Amino acid sequence: MADVNRRRFLQGSVAGLAVASGLAPAAGPKNADAAAVDAQPNYPSLDIAPLDSIGPGAEISFDYPDENSPAVLLRMGAPAEGGIGPDGDIVAFSMLCTHKGCPLNYLAERKMLVCPCHWSSFDPAKAGRLIIGQASQSLPQMRLEVRDGMVRAIGIDGLIYGRHTNIL
Amino acid sequence: MTRVPLPPTNAKTFRTVCQFCIVGCGYRVFKWPEGKNGTPEPEGNALGVDFREQQPADGVWISTNMHTVVTDKDGSRHSVAIIPDQDCQVNGGLESVRGGGLAQTLYAPDRETKVRLMKPQLLGAGGHADAAWDEAVDLGARVIKAVIDRWGADAVGMKFFDHGGGGGGFENNWAVGRFFFSGIGTRRASIHNRPAYNSEVHAAGDAGLAPLTNAYVDAQLADTIMIVGANPYETQTNYFLNHMVLNLNGESQTLKEKTFTGEPTASGRMIIVDPRRTMSVVAAEAAAGAENVLHLQIEPGTDIVLLNAIARIVLARRWHDIAFMRQRTEWQTFEAYQRSSLGVDRPLDEYIAEAAAHCGVAETDLHKAAEWIAEPKKGGARRRTLFHYEKGLIWGLKNYENIASIVDLALMTGNVGKPGTGCSRLGGHQEAYVRPPYPGGRPALNVDEAVRRGEAKVFWIGGCNPVLTTLRAEAMENSLIERGASVRNVLEETKGKPVGERVVAVVEALKEGGMFILAQDLYMTASARHAHVVLPAAGWGEMNLTSINGERRLRLYERFVDPPGDARPDWKIMALFAERLRQLYEEDNNPLMANRFRDYRWKTDEDVFIHARYSFKGDGSDPMEGYAGITYDLLRKLGNNGIQTPVRLVNKVPVGTPRLFENGKFGTPSGKARFIPAHRPWPGYAATIERQRQRYRFWINNGRVNHIWQTSYHHQHIPFYRERYPIPCLELNAADAQELGISSGDLLEVENDVGRVRAMAYITDAVKPNHAFMLFGQPRGAAGDLISDHVDPATTIPYYKGAWADIRRIGPAPDELKTVSFLPRNKVE
Repeated sequence: MADVNRRRFLQGSVAGLAVASGLAPAAGPKNADAAAVDAQPNYPSLDIAPLDSIGPGAEISFDYPDENSPAVLLRMGAPAEGGIGPDGDIVAFSMLCTHKGCPLNYLAERKMLVCPCHWSSFDPAKAGRLIIGQASQSLPQMRLEVRDGMVRAIGIDGLIYGRHTNIL
Repeated sequence: MTRVPLPPTNAKTFRTVCQFCIVGCGYRVFKWPEGKNGTPEPEGNALGVDFREQQPADGVWISTNMHTVVTDKDGSRHSVAIIPDQDCQVNGGLESVRGGGLAQTLYAPDRETKVRLMKPQLLGAGGHADAAWDEAVDLGARVIKAVIDRWGADAVGMKFFDHGGGGGGFENNWAVGRFFFSGIGTRRASIHNRPAYNSEVHAAGDAGLAPLTNAYVDAQLADTIMIVGANPYETQTNYFLNHMVLNLNGESQTLKEKTFTGEPTASGRMIIVDPRRTMSVVAAEAAAGAENVLHLQIEPGTDIVLLNAIARIVLARRWHDIAFMRQRTEWQTFEAYQRSSLGVDRPLDEYIAEAAAHCGVAETDLHKAAEWIAEPKKGGARRRTLFHYEKGLIWGLKNYENIASIVDLALMTGNVGKPGTGCSRLGGHQEAYVRPPYPGGRPALNVDEAVRRGEAKVFWIGGCNPVLTTLRAEAMENSLIERGASVRNVLEETKGKPVGERVVAVVEALKEGGMFILAQDLYMTASARHAHVVLPAAGWGEMNLTSINGERRLRLYERFVDPPGDARPDWKIMALFAERLRQLYEEDNNPLMANRFRDYRWKTDEDVFIHARYSFKGDGSDPMEGYAGITYDLLRKLGNNGIQTPVRLVNKVPVGTPRLFENGKFGTPSGKARFIPAHRPWPGYAATIERQRQRYRFWINNGRVNHIWQTSYHHQHIPFYRERYPIPCLELNAADAQELGISSGDLLEVENDVGRVRAMAYITDAVKPNHAFMLFGQPRGAAGDLISDHVDPATTIPYYKGAWADIRRIGPAPDELKTVSFLPRNKVE
């Protein structure tokens, strides 16, 4: 269970490359008991950027659900699985490769996420599925919603690399 | 799923090796009662990891596919986590996409693997019905005996796994070989993927080399790695990532300097011979820099010309290793090789220009390859080149000469038996060579033909699926259906009658052209569906087994779950049949035959291993095999690093052999290696193939892809893998696709004079125009349906890579492909 202090509200500034950072150190409970391991995590809500600031080709870095979990919001330019926004083309993913945890690169021209360590690649338009490579699960996709004109992260589908549960 | 349970500190722990590819990565297994999970603090879980914190890159992690819940025979439910072993030298903690999902392959009554075979089944008019083991074995053994007695041992045909890893291992291999070769004595035996019981690399054996000569560390030490007809990023993954890449990117430089004092060393280079620009080429370029990778994108069937042209340049530049050849090879064979294969009677430039045109590569690239392979280093030290080859060469135009040409090049440049060198298969599956000798000669009998033509009265299919994988696959299936039908009818008609009466009726059907079919497998495969007797086999993790990997590393794969239902290890199934045949022959007062089926009373997996071990003492009579002094206890102590075979006893202590031929003795009567001359420098296409080439536009290359192991026998039941390739992909060049009005995901029909098959289009620049590449052996599309029955007459090895066909679009992507990515599979930047 995450406590309310872990909820961070951050504003992405402008379209394009806006880096949201500066999360305070995680302050959640450190000793989850065995039963809690299986409980549904209570995800924080995080404001990423105003919808109208997310232009075509936008690539916005942010951390979610805490500062140790880098993520990226992408506007793909074509409807994407799990996408939001008027064109259903705004998606967000964990940027830690689900093979060995290296930070991924986004190849904007190819619209794919590639790991520089062992070259696993993921398709952000197809729910982060592995294109080729050695990861054994898809890339965790951040659940997004638009509220009051703001794109917010509200949850995660899939387990973030290096964790037994997404909310530590 | 957004969480995985952690193993508690009291979880049971096991060591095992991945069941899939030849590399054999080490894994750790944790098993604990469901719900009794560990806690995130390091002292609260069996991994000793602080899961309150984000783990760093290369840390210990359980991905969601690395965990599952299994149900043991007593109904108890357990969590199982299977994670890569950081202490294993093979993979150093890396998983492949296949190994990362090992947990998902386990039987579970509440997941798709619940379709595992649980009980023996007999085929009747209404389909398969459960039967008791006694009933199935009795019927099968009686029919086999009747067939041997009437038509002789060769009327019993078989196609069985001959490998290590899942569904194999020394234990099962030994039992199967012993039953069919020492017991029945049939020559109509064939190996899982081909029509006969034969080596895939006869030429290497004739030259005195073994299939697996080097240690994986040699890929970290070589100056140049040459890979012919293989795609190691996808299909020998962690040999590539954890050894070759460390050489290409300079990480192994310290090891090189330590190993080769006084010899100049630098980051490694790689030569890849492949008609496709695969991910291996792209990843090698990313690791080494494009200037240190040479991709020779040859036209199909031109390997021999290419390799001989490179050898000719080496000879002309006088870069061949005369000292090695004088000491270690039969010199006269080198002279014959120069004349027959290297065209020494013709001017170099003319020979090379002709070869380059033939292969579709630049002359300068042929020269560059020769330089990278053999140009002496500064100060005169010989360049260390490691040669690897696999199915592109093995299933190529002319199996025997294909293999000969790379072995000859390795011998000529002295690249065998020294650190940083070798000439080896990259391998497909793991190995478990132990078997009594095949009773037939060479070339081995073609079992597929015997099944089609009627000489095989019994056909026993074990742990393989020829309906999807063999050449002329549809003809194989038709034979099973047509020749099996009469037997099926008499079994139905005689239901409930005494077994003796049923067997008489079966034999009558066999006289009229029928065939009695047995199958033993994990699943009801496309082949097993046609079997009259279906036998449920235990799989990986459900028995203890031993296997070797591509550097002959022998390890114990521990049992950690129960087999489902009444499934049994293959060795036990063979023992049941042997015991019943022994009884039947004794009842028949035929001690000669009864004695052939003695000594199958093994109690444990290890009993079988020890039995097999006695035949392979490591006395040097076989270059690869030798298991002296090995016990399960010793292997448990050695863990996932195991010991490299052959193992010999030195002062009663088992000692392994990381690298073969370091003593300079090769597997020939003279102890010297032999060059194998090609009969003709360019053998040309066989008539059957040439007709196809003339008639159809596309070359249909085919093979494996990263995600999928063989026929998808497990992976079709695991969504993560199945959803990547729900239908087999067919890679097509963009220009060809545009011309034919094809988009990625479109349904295609591929057709030639052998058959037709469906596939999904995957447009890519990996293949040249007029080339295509299809994922082979899939339940929803078998490339084998396009493969002619042409085999290399010298070896009975098919030209699986040699099919030509036409391609047409039959419709847009069906809904099930909506989630499939068609982004390129060969881009990293």
